[in-house]
Amino acid sequence: MIDSLLRFSINRRWIVLFLAAALGALGIWNYQRLPIDAVPDITNVQVQINARAPGYTPLETESRVTFPIEAGMGGIPGLHSFRSISKYGLAQVTAVFEDGTDLYFARQLVNERLQGVREQLPAGIELEMGPAATGLGEIFMYVVEAKPDARKPDGTAYDAMDLRTIQDWTIRPQLRQVPGVSEVDGIGGYTRQFHVLPDPSRMLSFGLTLDDIEEALRTSNGNVGAGYIETNGEQNLVRVPGQLAGVEDLRNVVVASRDGIPVRISDVADVATGRPLRTGAAQLGSDQTVLCTAFMRVGENSRTVSLAVSAKLAEINKRLPPGVQASPVYNRTDLVNKTIATVQKNLLEGAILVLAVLLLMLGNVRAALLTAMVIPLSMLMLMTSMVQTRVSANLMSLGALDFGLIVDGAVIIVENCIRRLAERQHHLGRLLSIEERFHEVYAATREVFTPSLISVLVVILVNLPLLALTGVEGKMFRPMALTVILALVAALVLSLTFVPAATALLLSGRIEEKDNLLVRWAKRAYAPLLGFAIRFRLAVAAAALVLVLACGWLTTRMGTEFIPQLDEGDIVILVNRIPGIGLEQAVAMQKGLQTALMKHPELQRVFSRTGTNDAATDPMSPGETDTFFMLKPHKEWPDPKKDKATLLAEIDATLATVPGMLYEFSQPIEMRFNELIAGVRAALAVKIYGDDFDELARLSQRAASIIAAVPGAEGVKAEAISGLPTLTILPRREALARFGLKLATVQQTIATAVGGTEAGQIFEGDARFDVVVRLPEHLRTDTAALERLPVALPGGGYVPLSELAQIQLASGANQISRENGKRRVVVTANAGERDLGGFVSDVRGKLEGDLALPPGYYIEYGGTFEQLQSAAQRLTMLVPITLLMIFALLLMTFGSVRDAALVFSGVPLALTGGVLALLIRGIPLSITAGVGFITLSGVAVLTGVVMVSAIRSRLEAGEGIDAAIREGAMLRLRPILMVALVAALGFLPMALNTGTGAEVQRPLATVVIGGIISATLLTLLVLPGLYRMAWRPMLDTTVLPVDAQDVPQ
Amino acid sequence: MKPISLILITLLPFAVVGCGGAKPEASQPAPAAAAELAPAANHIALSPAQLKAADIELATAGPANLRETLPLYGAIAANAERMREVTARYPGAIQSVTRKIGDAVVEGDTLATVESNESLQSYAVKAPLAGVITARTANVGQQTGDKPLFVVADLSTVWVELSLFPRDAVKVRVGQNARVKSPDVGFAADGRVTYVAPFGSSTSQTLTARVQLDNSQRRWAPGLYVTAELTLAERKVPLTIRKTAIQMLADSPVVFVQGASGFEARPVKLGRSDGEVTEVLDGLKAGETYAAANSYVLKAEALKSEAAED
Repeated sequence: MIDSLLRFSINRRWIVLFLAAALGALGIWNYQRLPIDAVPDITNVQVQINARAPGYTPLETESRVTFPIEAGMGGIPGLHSFRSISKYGLAQVTAVFEDGTDLYFARQLVNERLQGVREQLPAGIELEMGPAATGLGEIFMYVVEAKPDARKPDGTAYDAMDLRTIQDWTIRPQLRQVPGVSEVDGIGGYTRQFHVLPDPSRMLSFGLTLDDIEEALRTSNGNVGAGYIETNGEQNLVRVPGQLAGVEDLRNVVVASRDGIPVRISDVADVATGRPLRTGAAQLGSDQTVLCTAFMRVGENSRTVSLAVSAKLAEINKRLPPGVQASPVYNRTDLVNKTIATVQKNLLEGAILVLAVLLLMLGNVRAALLTAMVIPLSMLMLMTSMVQTRVSANLMSLGALDFGLIVDGAVIIVENCIRRLAERQHHLGRLLSIEERFHEVYAATREVFTPSLISVLVVILVNLPLLALTGVEGKMFRPMALTVILALVAALVLSLTFVPAATALLLSGRIEEKDNLLVRWAKRAYAPLLGFAIRFRLAVAAAALVLVLACGWLTTRMGTEFIPQLDEGDIVILVNRIPGIGLEQAVAMQKGLQTALMKHPELQRVFSRTGTNDAATDPMSPGETDTFFMLKPHKEWPDPKKDKATLLAEIDATLATVPGMLYEFSQPIEMRFNELIAGVRAALAVKIYGDDFDELARLSQRAASIIAAVPGAEGVKAEAISGLPTLTILPRREALARFGLKLATVQQTIATAVGGTEAGQIFEGDARFDVVVRLPEHLRTDTAALERLPVALPGGGYVPLSELAQIQLASGANQISRENGKRRVVVTANAGERDLGGFVSDVRGKLEGDLALPPGYYIEYGGTFEQLQSAAQRLTMLVPITLLMIFALLLMTFGSVRDAALVFSGVPLALTGGVLALLIRGIPLSITAGVGFITLSGVAVLTGVVMVSAIRSRLEAGEGIDAAIREGAMLRLRPILMVALVAALGFLPMALNTGTGAEVQRPLATVVIGGIISATLLTLLVLPGLYRMAWRPMLDTTVLPVDAQDVPQ
Repeated sequence: MKPISLILITLLPFAVVGCGGAKPEASQPAPAAAAELAPAANHIALSPAQLKAADIELATAGPANLRETLPLYGAIAANAERMREVTARYPGAIQSVTRKIGDAVVEGDTLATVESNESLQSYAVKAPLAGVITARTANVGQQTGDKPLFVVADLSTVWVELSLFPRDAVKVRVGQNARVKSPDVGFAADGRVTYVAPFGSSTSQTLTARVQLDNSQRRWAPGLYVTAELTLAERKVPLTIRKTAIQMLADSPVVFVQGASGFEARPVKLGRSDGEVTEVLDGLKAGETYAAANSYVLKAEALKSEAAED
């Protein structure tokens, strides 16, 4: 089959070349459709359910809202786990589904259950599902701002409420139309409301209650359609309008009539547009602003969507009132472009280096170019297959591609073709005829077919374990392995069809038989070394063994991390203030913080969001602020050479001068990922489960102090589950009875007085604004005034609230987190400079020893380290299997355990170089580095196969063992050096690049380069010696196993 | 319940000192104990620039006038002691009526003339006091009968009838100053409590307190609802702080006092307060500088350090 394929390729070369070109064109077309992102989306399949419970305290939220929702989620097919947070006015339940569940199917299931749950919830609870977005969803942020001199039509300046209204009713509806956008959410500013603020004393004088006012507003504000009548054959619709239009209309609503005189709203209350009790605020620079986020729908192409949003926003901007505009502050495209630019640069430079090596070593421009052609062609074929397999192009998926590896197979084939064509020409002393040329090409290809097939098979094989990874690490590394495998398969197909065809076609002229200067030098240097290595083979082998053992020991001393963190270029400062802080206080303190940050010359803009956004996708408390510190491009910095660590240290110094907060550094995507995966934003999350709230609080404090004592612990934080000051107004039932009041009446009066009660809506075009009845600000914010709140009595008259209820201030639950139906508290920590793996095991040891848990309480560990652990576990199982498979492959090839073992010995030797390279560069072990080792073992086996098969063919030809080894080694010096050089140089730009995203690829490239250097040296020096040792004693008695495929023509 | 139990534990010693006063020698041990137990909470060093950036305002603890007040609702009533029903001395026919409702009269003004049925003499019915005619049943030709012909009310003073609920009743005494405000018109006047009813109403569970107001301007119309603020006590207190300085740490009040090495959270025992100024009974000395406004920043800093260094 192989023979006929090769013959076909050579005989029908034009067809083959045409097909290759067609595949290339298909690839170019698919490239346009390829989803491109910065990083793979690692979010699990989850559905968020947000329930707004206005005015509910955390405890009430938990028992009245969260619990029924959680109960309703039980038994949904495919449900993996669920967790919930109950906060002031908000319950959020996150249902996590098994990987592979279709998100829309999951949402459908959840929605079905929610129908049933709705009936069990108290009235007034709004239940909805979060946007169908993932952790990568926050692709675009903008602020709505007005120029200082911009004026509204009535001549006044725009305030935060006007801007918010423009966002809610002008910008948002249009942006939501953009394809791929799932939600556009705002935070900050003030939603416009119409406030009716009754004065208690005036209400008393008319004998009116808050209820009366609400009732009056409700019943005086509506349009009614009354059917139609037919008059003389004509149909007349009947309508009875009564919709209130604004402040003036509200004032004139009649509440009651006293002695025939109407009492209007304006007689008992002030009416004004006002601010709601907001849960979130946003700030840009030192001002408050309206910050909006566009969420991308799951599975969309972030670059396309953010470009579309950006374009739409520019279009909307043209239609906004003069002086008002929406300015982008964060655009995912920037990051994607930067990372893709890094990847492109790496790949391009790698390709150029590979081409240079080919030119130098082959000494034949045509051969070098046609070999290099494999690179773009296999890339384009890869694009097609990536689109087909729905793998997006990103740092990770393109991160392990090495053009050196891709062309390896082709290099071996072309090199052999050139050698044989040159030899033949030399032998005949003339140019070859077409038939002769074709035959030589065929024979040459056939001769090295096995090594090149093995090389590709081995690299594919070593990548297979990565495909078996699951969870987050699977989402990270499966695409990586998949692209490598796809690219290699493409390259393999090309080297068996396109390469021979092109070689046969192009290498028609005179071919230089001599090695070029470089190879001659290499050979001259190699010959004595080889002799030396064979003579002192025992010492060399022993030294190699020592090296392997030493490196093995070194790996146990090295740090570990999951994957190197992508430097997104922007900084997020996660600010945490004490629980119980009011939103406006937090905003005031945040203003001080941002003013302090603005002195950094590297800052382009700083903006922040405090508290919970409207869609409640991220239920932060008012004490929590995400501060986005957007950097200028490096070249605009006063000192463009300053690295990020220095800048972070400087920012850290600035932050230390601002009192009243804790902070940690993160990045926009990093922050979301950490949060969405484990529900926490830190590398390590210690979850303590239990029932009693106080006990959990105590345990979490204790755990936090234990963890803080572990070396390297940074940002240790116990979840602030309590500390929310709660004003409890405890009704005294006997007093209620004495005054003849109902409990609900009192409760409702307090709710209306403090929180306000919605009493209808005012329409302005499409926009609608709530009408809210609540006490004037100076009364509702003053505890003493609240005690005096007059409660109307059924028989007329009033009684102050303090007569009816006890008012006490105490700190209560801040938020209640549950996981899988059980209360839990989380202590989070980061490892700082320390490696995560060691840190986590230290923490575990300490906690198991020092934290005494009462019965029924237990600890679980989570956070990003979880992925490291599960990946490590899976790989420890899979890597040996893979190594076994490689060995089996080698055994099949050589038919000899000894040869297979010899080739295999290259693997540990190759790993030493990788370990040393990591050590030299100070990079910890990570899954990414692990992938490098995997790739490395492929290359090591490849060079070994090339070497051993050459020696074997010499032996079969009847040469003596020493001669065979020496000749074989010298003969294969060029291909081995080439394979090593192309593979190493192909990765060189990746190892040295400093662009955005380079840090993610650096460990992989470093391992491969270091490993290839050691693997090549050892293949060239140790392997011949080992071969000699292995075969020497048996040469006289044993007939070498003969592999039919290896017999030269 | 407790925000951070460890803080509670650390602060417990001076919470005892602050609230109990059981130990006589414990007048000033708080700083010492605090320095030992919770150094972080007790020394928050901030530079003047940081103070300014955080909007923290400083003030000195010292004497101040403390005005304890009680807000009440009530209604204006006419002064019952200055109201007269004018009746005809001798029954007869009304011959003429010279004043109508709303007319101002002075003492001795003739309101009507009545012809006595017995003597058939006409006599003048005169105003018994200066005031306003608030009711008139007298019309020409009528027989006087027993009914009052006029009601004359002297509105130069009015009463404010305030409802006292049981909790407030014990605080209110005759002679206390009251500031009465009209919610609708917005003007105010000062008066004194002249009467506290000895009886309560069983239906509304209230007592009535009465404030007499000067009404020479005729601004207070009987029947209108008003609010009143009673000054329960007004006195000079030797040691006070502004109410905005008080923060709750582990459910007990503290004041952030500036010392040589920064601010310390000083547990204090608080006395009376009037909404602006609060009396300090223990824990603070006169002349000490404390954070008067935006002291929450210091609380945030104190709790933050606690959490971080636990």
